[in-house]
Amino acid sequence: MLRGCGRGAAAVLRGAAGSRGASGQERGPEPGRPLEPSLLRFLVCPLSKRPLRYEESTNELINEELGIAYPIIDGIPNMIPEAARTTRKRPPAEGSEQP
Amino acid sequence: MAAGLCPGRALLSRRGGALWALLGTARGRAAGPETHFGFQNVSEAERREKIYQVFENVAEKYDVMNDSMSLGIHRVWKDILVHKMNPSPGTLLVDVAGGTGDIAFRFLNYVRSVRERQLQQKLRHHQNLSWQEISKSYQEEKSNPLGDSQVVVCDINKEMLKAGKQKAQHLGYSEGLSWVLGNAEELHFDDDKFDVYTIAFGIRNVTRIDLALQEAYRVLKPGGRFLCLEFSHVSNPLLSRLYDLYSFQVIPVLGEVIAGDWKSYQYLVESIRRFPPQEELKAMIEDAGFLKVDYQNLNSGIVAIHSGFKL
Repeated sequence: MLRGCGRGAAAVLRGAAGSRGASGQERGPEPGRPLEPSLLRFLVCPLSKRPLRYEESTNELINEELGIAYPIIDGIPNMIPEAARTTRKRPPAEGSEQP
Repeated sequence: MAAGLCPGRALLSRRGGALWALLGTARGRAAGPETHFGFQNVSEAERREKIYQVFENVAEKYDVMNDSMSLGIHRVWKDILVHKMNPSPGTLLVDVAGGTGDIAFRFLNYVRSVRERQLQQKLRHHQNLSWQEISKSYQEEKSNPLGDSQVVVCDINKEMLKAGKQKAQHLGYSEGLSWVLGNAEELHFDDDKFDVYTIAFGIRNVTRIDLALQEAYRVLKPGGRFLCLEFSHVSNPLLSRLYDLYSFQVIPVLGEVIAGDWKSYQYLVESIRRFPPQEELKAMIEDAGFLKVDYQNLNSGIVAIHSGFKL
């Protein structure tokens, strides 16, 4: 029953072995790739566990309440609070500037 | 106590100072308490930093090293984990500490093949379908080969995620796969979101395992399953001797030769010895609230898969 899957996995692993040499291409395509929409439905602020707002212009995930923004680098949200920046310039409005 | 907090602040302020003045104390984890890094005793903050460096160093060679150290057996262990999970189309998986995508890719393959089989069976059961119905079914399979399954890979280490993302690009995985940088002790996912939480060869490197387990419990849906694949303890004395010999005499040498990094692999083998044995980890998982917790030893306990349910 699982044989089909096993074969698939084997193909993947063979592929992985073959792709090793390509580590020279360090950079991803564009640095400012946006967030995948399917991911946003899972994400909350790791500190307050409250929903985040995606800010397209800066490509960040924003916690209005605490005034912090999590960057998205190469399409990967960086949800480590240590890497977030404070957004205290704007007063924490009730989070409805733009969906 | 206050003095104990200082090193943590110093470490964190390098990255985001202002924020830490605000939030540093609110998080219930600080640098203070002593923990271990391999066989050394260090503060929790130091440990985090050191482990980060280990994986930063090994990210590029991670797959090659896994293959050479385990003679390829790690692949079988990971296959067993995914077969044990037995995900169906629609399953939402979070794979924590899954940087290089090993579990995620296997999950996607597995779901895809289950889905294919389901649709084929459906066709076979309805013998006299019209061609419209058949073509609709094929389109369904083409447009949604995963049946809405998704895997979110979470890792604390940028380099590991980078390696995983590159691998995914090479192998052509993109549908149903996303990557997030985050900390297992403080997850950035909403409550009750996932059907399965996996952590493969990751929990050993988490400094506060109790927090990681609580977070796993929180993000799982009721009925969701926790699966942990990790090195464990060998009970057979003869095998244990051989395994020790191999671990301490061979692995660091391989690390030096292949990855140019003795220390990281020294840490690896030491951390395996410091990690709680099967029963102890089982009790920790139960403490986090999981029910029906059990484990399966693989290769006489060199590795174990722990499983628990949020019920």
